[in-house]
Amino acid sequence: MSMPAEEARAGEILLEIRDLRAGTEEREILTGVTLTIRRGEIHAIMGPNGSGKSTLSYVLAGRPGYRVSGGEVLYKGEDLLALPADERARRGVFLAFQYPVEIPGLSVVNFLRAARNAVHRPEMPPLEFHRFLRSKLSLLDMDEGLVRRYLNEGFSGGEKKRNEILQMAVLEPEMAILDETDSGLDIDALKDVSRGINAVAGERVGVLLITHYQRILNYVTPHVIHVLVAGRIARSGGPELATELERTGYDSLREEEAAAAGPLA
Amino acid sequence: MGVDGTFGADAVRELAARSGEPDWFVARRLRSLERFGSLPWPDPSLEEWRHTDLSGFSLDGLTPLPPRRARASNLDGVPREALARMGEVGEREGLAVQVDADVVHLSLGREARAAGAVFAPLPEAARDHPDLVQGILGSAGTPASEEKLTTLADAFASGGTFLHVPRGRRLRAPVQSFRWLSGPGIAVFPRVVIVAEEGASVTYIEEYRAGELGGPALACPVVEIYAGPGADVSFLTVQDWPGTVWHFQTQRAIVGRDASLRSLGATFGGRASRAVVESVMDGAGGSSEMLGVYFADSDQRFSYWSLQDHRAPNTRSTLTLKGALKGRSRAVYRGLVHIQKGADQADAYQVNRNLLLSGEAKADPAPFLEIEANQVRCSHATSVGQPPADQLFYLQSRGIPPKEAERLVVKGFFQEVLDRTGVPEVRGALERAVESELERDGGKVG
Repeated sequence: MSMPAEEARAGEILLEIRDLRAGTEEREILTGVTLTIRRGEIHAIMGPNGSGKSTLSYVLAGRPGYRVSGGEVLYKGEDLLALPADERARRGVFLAFQYPVEIPGLSVVNFLRAARNAVHRPEMPPLEFHRFLRSKLSLLDMDEGLVRRYLNEGFSGGEKKRNEILQMAVLEPEMAILDETDSGLDIDALKDVSRGINAVAGERVGVLLITHYQRILNYVTPHVIHVLVAGRIARSGGPELATELERTGYDSLREEEAAAAGPLA
Repeated sequence: MGVDGTFGADAVRELAARSGEPDWFVARRLRSLERFGSLPWPDPSLEEWRHTDLSGFSLDGLTPLPPRRARASNLDGVPREALARMGEVGEREGLAVQVDADVVHLSLGREARAAGAVFAPLPEAARDHPDLVQGILGSAGTPASEEKLTTLADAFASGGTFLHVPRGRRLRAPVQSFRWLSGPGIAVFPRVVIVAEEGASVTYIEEYRAGELGGPALACPVVEIYAGPGADVSFLTVQDWPGTVWHFQTQRAIVGRDASLRSLGATFGGRASRAVVESVMDGAGGSSEMLGVYFADSDQRFSYWSLQDHRAPNTRSTLTLKGALKGRSRAVYRGLVHIQKGADQADAYQVNRNLLLSGEAKADPAPFLEIEANQVRCSHATSVGQPPADQLFYLQSRGIPPKEAERLVVKGFFQEVLDRTGVPEVRGALERAVESELERDGGKVG
């Protein structure tokens, strides 16, 4: 359940990741991630493929099959990792999937209504929900016909990503995690998706934007940029860090990280 | 599995007397009874019967002659509970209601009558329209493995319906028959014969329901469908008996040149439910779409046999069968695509998918292909598994609790088939049946 607006203040700590170590059953992928996100802040995590970006997003969302081997994650001061996935969502955590899942036979509109009513009480009456949904669709420049289709089934890559942002807009989360939502989008879709993110972001909301490319940062301006290399944050800085990475690439950071880890790494 | 005098020749004659049947029809019954007596009960070691658990099945204690029920032009003779379970009946071109062994109401719309359509309980059609019935009845043939049951059903055919749609006539609204059992101990053998002449078109809904019976009963429907050249036939069956009914159904369709058949079987009820569904593509360009859904729970045993028999070139057939299983239920699917010599350019597929919603439920699908023609396209796919974990997680990541997530995934799983029913009220009824199956044992399944 979302926190009533008056209790949530900009600047207050929302998500605190402390020395998080996690991975699959076979392999530790995150080797000690530490990160604090306050309400009203947009953080971007950049990093090369295989650095652990998606692992971080899945661990935060509670996907089965991941093992946490150390550290902790506090959300609004509580142990997030102890909660089942659906409870995390009901408390305001949202993950936009890098690879949204197709669910044949379940229409987008029925899905959105079930999700909205699971997260926010009291339930929205059907007519009010439809008005609400239409406003979100127009925000993202999405066609109303899409919500009658089955969830992600036969959607283009761009439609799937817009649909993730639509879900975020409908669920109005407090902590939004976006896992490479910008990958594979053409410029129009990227602008729509960015507009959606900017509309959800605000004083009370924290955003964690995971991306491989600097491109989306032209439309969504982060307060902090972190660079994830080999399962830990190698550098953090302001928006200027993105420009620097654009120039130097991830390789220089990989070398720094290898040097820091010693000759056995 | 004994048969005493209750399933003897006297019973056949008594049943036949109810409708004043013509001699040829009674003689046919008696021949079938004789044949029935000469056949052994299905051998459980035969492949066709190995997967149908008949333990506990017996004709002892069942009667093919329940008290007679009168016909009425209105629905006054229909038990209140049956009316309630019929639910919403939309616009219908024809409606027949059978209670136990008798058709208690039958009506045919003005348009259909003007078109020259004939709709009647089978024994009455045999009496009043022998020219239409005698030549065609039984000509579709019977699967050899089912003969013990179909001969019994022929001997004791009760109620049932015959529908004849003349050449070029298209019935806009569906024709529906609703069959109800009023108590335990009854054996009913509805025979459904549908004849669509060249270019005719009809949708037929066949529904089986009853309240809790508190004892065993037997339903043994035999369905014959004849789709003439260019005809278009939809046949939708909804079986939602209570859990003490044995349901053994045989359906065989002859699909003519350029004809198209869509058949859907929805199975929810019964202690054991066996359906043998066959489509014979007899003329070039004919097509058959077989659809099926089932949802089993507790100790229910479902088995489904299909035959897609291509005997002519450029024919097409598909089978899409989807089931969910709870409790300790079992489902078996066996299906054959047979492309006979000369059926070149045939195109066929079979798909059977099963969702296991409990650790103790089991499904056993096996499709077979037999190809004797050239340049054909055939494929099949089967699966048995739990609801996909990635789908469940995706929904849960949106705040939807695990049980509700599973409910949505299972409903979606069936939707592909339900979307193809073509009749909104049937689709709605099936959606409600799936919902109520999902809610059953609600507390027990985690």
